[in-house]
Amino acid sequence: MEVQLKLYGSSKILSDKEILNIELPNNSNIETLRGVLSKIISKKYLKNSLQNLSKTAAFFSEKDEVVNDSYKLKNKELISIFPPIGGG
Amino acid sequence: MTLHAAIVKTEKEKISSEKAKNFILSEENGAESIFVGRVRNENNGKKVTAVTYDVHDKAVIKSFQSICFEAKSKFDSNASIFLEHAKGYVSVGEISILIAVSSGHRDEAFKICRFILEEIKHKSPIWKKEHYTEGNEQWLPGHSLRPKEEIK
Repeated sequence: MEVQLKLYGSSKILSDKEILNIELPNNSNIETLRGVLSKIISKKYLKNSLQNLSKTAAFFSEKDEVVNDSYKLKNKELISIFPPIGGG
Repeated sequence: MTLHAAIVKTEKEKISSEKAKNFILSEENGAESIFVGRVRNENNGKKVTAVTYDVHDKAVIKSFQSICFEAKSKFDSNASIFLEHAKGYVSVGEISILIAVSSGHRDEAFKICRFILEEIKHKSPIWKKEHYTEGNEQWLPGHSLRPKEEIK
């Protein structure tokens, strides 16, 4: 399966595009996505700039809510990644 | 209407303090408190030229409304609140956030203004990328929206 990860804040370093398509095993949840994301960060040599992102990020569904690690992802689902925030 | 909460896309318009003052003007409210946040030319010893604000529009508006309603119920239900935050590229000296509050009395007006600002920093999905005089740029660290007990 595949999810579309909409990038915000520092996660935009991961791609030149606004959305990053990520391949996941079938029946994945947010916890699986965190693991895969951590591998992508290592692969792209971005550990220094995106340290802990896979642990500290929150994920926001199309239903406009922050979802927890047990949230089951659907194939082609659009999900937003929220790195730690700092507006104002 | 006693609440205005919006995101201002900087390539199209600027945040206006005049608009804010007119919005909160009320014969019932004798106290006004206005907070204006501008981009500073220095941060942690680095010379800053601008900040780019990234925003999840829908989630930010939802959080702004929730924060403002909470502020009104905590301090003064008759308060008028104007809140705008920039989205996009903001040069040094330009406004990034404006909170204007009118209330029955000064104490509540100050408290509401402060409460809204602090809550935004911890709850609203807004991210800052600083641009420096050397030409480089950096996303700033912040507060995680993931519950603390879940972060191993």
